[in-house]
Amino acid sequence: MTQLGHRRFRRLGSVVAVSAMGALTLAACGGGDDDSGSGGSGDAVDSFTFTFGNASGATDSPFQQLADAYSEETGIEIETKALPPDNYGLTLRTQLQGGNAPDVMVVSPGGGQDAAVLPLAEAGFVEPLDQTSEDLIPEGSEGLFTIDDKVYAQPTDITPVGMTWNVGAAEEAGVDAPTDQSSLLEACKASADAGKSFIVLAGAVPPNPGLMAMSISATRVYADEPDWNAQRADGDVTFADSEGWQDTLQTIVDMNEAGCFQEGFAGAGFDAITQGIGGGTSLATFVPGGAATEIMAHVPNLELQVQSFPPADGGTPYLLASPNYALAINAKADDATKKAAQDFLDWAADPENSAEYTKVSGGVSISGPGEDLSPVYEPVRDLLESGDFAPLPNLEWPNPSVYDSLATGIQGLLTGQGDIQSVLESVDKAWDNG
Amino acid sequence: MFRYTKATFLREVVVWIAALITLMPFYFLFITALKSDEEALTTGSSTPPSRPSVQSFADVLTAGGDSNILLGLLHSVIITVGSIMGMVVIGSLAAYVLARSTQRWGSVAFYLFLIAIILPTQLGLIPLYIGARQLGLVGSLWGMIVLYTGTLMPLAVFLYASFFRGLPRDYEEAAAIDGASPTRVFFRIVLPLMAPATGTVAILTGLIVWNDFFSALIFLGGSGNQTVTVSMYYYVGGLVSAWNKIFAIVIISMVPILTFYLFAQKKFIQGFAGGIK
Amino acid sequence: MTATIGTGPVVREGSAAAGDGTPSRPRRARPLITYGYWWWALPAIAMVLLIHYIATAGGAFYAFTDWTGIGDFNFIGLDNFKRIFEDPALIGSLKNTLFLAFGFLILTNLFGLLLALALNRSLKTRYLLRVLLFMPVVLSPLAVSYIWKFIFDFKGPLNSVIGWFGIEPKVWLADPTLSLWAILVVMAWQTTGMCMVIYLAGLATVSQDIEEAAALDGASTWRRFRSITVPSIRPSIAIASTLMLVQGLRVFDQVMALTGGGPAGDTETLATQVYKQTFALSNFGFGAALALILTLVILVFSVLQQAATKDRS
Repeated sequence: MTQLGHRRFRRLGSVVAVSAMGALTLAACGGGDDDSGSGGSGDAVDSFTFTFGNASGATDSPFQQLADAYSEETGIEIETKALPPDNYGLTLRTQLQGGNAPDVMVVSPGGGQDAAVLPLAEAGFVEPLDQTSEDLIPEGSEGLFTIDDKVYAQPTDITPVGMTWNVGAAEEAGVDAPTDQSSLLEACKASADAGKSFIVLAGAVPPNPGLMAMSISATRVYADEPDWNAQRADGDVTFADSEGWQDTLQTIVDMNEAGCFQEGFAGAGFDAITQGIGGGTSLATFVPGGAATEIMAHVPNLELQVQSFPPADGGTPYLLASPNYALAINAKADDATKKAAQDFLDWAADPENSAEYTKVSGGVSISGPGEDLSPVYEPVRDLLESGDFAPLPNLEWPNPSVYDSLATGIQGLLTGQGDIQSVLESVDKAWDNG
Repeated sequence: MFRYTKATFLREVVVWIAALITLMPFYFLFITALKSDEEALTTGSSTPPSRPSVQSFADVLTAGGDSNILLGLLHSVIITVGSIMGMVVIGSLAAYVLARSTQRWGSVAFYLFLIAIILPTQLGLIPLYIGARQLGLVGSLWGMIVLYTGTLMPLAVFLYASFFRGLPRDYEEAAAIDGASPTRVFFRIVLPLMAPATGTVAILTGLIVWNDFFSALIFLGGSGNQTVTVSMYYYVGGLVSAWNKIFAIVIISMVPILTFYLFAQKKFIQGFAGGIK
Repeated sequence: MTATIGTGPVVREGSAAAGDGTPSRPRRARPLITYGYWWWALPAIAMVLLIHYIATAGGAFYAFTDWTGIGDFNFIGLDNFKRIFEDPALIGSLKNTLFLAFGFLILTNLFGLLLALALNRSLKTRYLLRVLLFMPVVLSPLAVSYIWKFIFDFKGPLNSVIGWFGIEPKVWLADPTLSLWAILVVMAWQTTGMCMVIYLAGLATVSQDIEEAAALDGASTWRRFRSITVPSIRPSIAIASTLMLVQGLRVFDQVMALTGGGPAGDTETLATQVYKQTFALSNFGFGAALALILTLVILVFSVLQQAATKDRS
């Protein structure tokens, strides 16, 4: 094998490579329609950048539709960037620190979730907003958006979190929505007898058991003490000493022993939920309210509703509902761009536009349940109207580790490891450390 | 002696069985990619499609905007090829002098590279991002090439140096005595002798660059220069993902890298059959 | 290319390709020729210093603070490290990491070498087979997660198959002990192909002539393997074992894809812990301290491993 042989081959190889790249380029540039504008530099006030996490899969995100509607009405161009939801918070924080952040971004209220806005505000990365934004905040949730009387994010809608209930499957099994703990356990048995599982749980993904715990805590902890999180922040109570939280975890253990969850739940992922609820082999699951609309959109002939998780025997019904997403403005953008961004936020706050958004997102309107309340929320309409709901607990927690210890601790309980007391103690530790 | 005997045939059969067992998980990959949108959501993962269709392939190849797969492929190809070339050139030069050096700085430098392989690059993410942004490397293809070349350089140098150490010095000495300069010795004699090493470096580093998601997301996410790994995630939703389309993309993105692998195998690794006359 | 010099070395045709590293003449005190120019190494060294050492040092600084990843921070000295050693979960992660790393090292090298030997020559379809066996290496973690989670699912094919043998179905990925083995299987499945490539490259340098000569002389297959093949693939053994050990100690993708570290942290490794703390849970300072500890662990084992596979020529 001589070196001439090498060279000949190499030349042939490079010819092939170049023509392949040429073909790809032609195909790609011809077919695709990519955003070529640099946007958001601030010179042109007729465009700005808008980033959000794209959790809708292959369908258009509600934020995309919001931006499109705005552009159509006002002619101002919005350069949207949909990022994968998994590392969304990290990408956002990196861009903010690198000076590369978008002008408008979707954030989570409070301090406990991935793209939480309060730490960003404390670090000076988001801009205080005007009165329109402040007026939109539901009563009782101010702490999630405000520092020192300045509002840093504008909520988009309210997401109730209860049990998502498959009406058809329930009818088939002859089971009614339970109203208290005893009827819940009975319903589990009845479902199992009918060959279905009462609840489909994604045990392998910590946020699902975590969400379940939070849904249960609504009636066990926050119904009697809606300000429990504030008390914890002051150090007056702890998770380990709280009867309500002990009861919450005990309920989960009881449900496990009563066979409420599907077989093999410990290793199941989110697709088990879609298949279980969509296919009617389970009656209920714990997902945010908007997911009900999403699943129904993909599975024909499916009727889902949101039920509140039943209280303990003799307790009062209570729900979790809070804004899960909010819009924020980059503090480092120039003034003209910030003004354009605030205009966009004001437009989104307008009741008509907000209602359009809510229809797509599947949540409840930010101003409360009205005539246009999605039929999915009929069972909890009363609770929503009377204000018998609390914000999602982990939004008010100081850092993401608290929720993580709770969720992984519950995973342990469900796989026979650890005990309730030590789980709660680890949650306390995560709170104090953060 | 190395004719194709019965024993060789037996060996071939055994390896084929091993290959089929190893590839069984790919069966699920392919049947899911061939399902229609509705079937992908409603049927279980092991049920074959009732009517196999290549619709998902057609859909992803013609999609535009953030999920433009063809564009993503192009970017991935450019970045990967550029990074490989950078690493082969810079890495082989560096590894050569390190491996041949008889002074202490040679082994110190070698350990410098070895430790760099071990260092957790996650820690350096934010400083790197800020630095790259100052240099205008964020969001550009060239920037990513520089980044990947630098990030994987320790691996390339380590691989090359390890191969170089196993190369006896006879050829270089003979060539030098014949009057060749060190540069000529390196490019005309040593490097061709190192074709298996080059092939290995190209395959391993190229693979890492091609499949990289995290850095591509942070540095290129949302820009017009996304790679195919990031564009793939457009179809991943929180609860409902279009798995048939996602796997169509996975299959499509495997083709270039496997083709390159075959090319590198034949040309670099086996093309050099153990003796330069 | 041959050259005969009066008093100098005689280059024997084909001998050098055996590559056993044994010098065929006495070592010289000073090299006869200049092997390249020292400044050839500068670009590479500069890049590595910048991108690896300086950037990482910047991040590592935060190991001594309580930085959350954004905003202000306080300097807290060694508090993070103290917290690490008091945390029982860390010992668990360390055990998992070591188990996975050594299991991985052994499995991939063993099967990689066997496959490379089998596919080295003579087989008619060896190129096709090489591509097929490399396919798992190329698969993205997203697909690995979906496919293998399905295989290990309670109602999945693996449980069906063991059902034929009368074994009860298991929850593979959520069982505290089984899940680690499941992860090891997937790790080995995905990376054996890479080891195979490294060994194929090494085997390519073994001269066919020498082997033929030895075979004609009557040496058995095993003897040929030991005396000719093994010495010439020593670089490959060194490379493959180093890379697989480092990669095994840093395993991340497969763990996150299959169990996410669960259930309840049973399959957490040091690398997944680092990622979780620095990025997911906004404990950048704590995570940075963990990362430094992980680096130390890998360093210790790498040094040991380098000493073990040192070329003793």
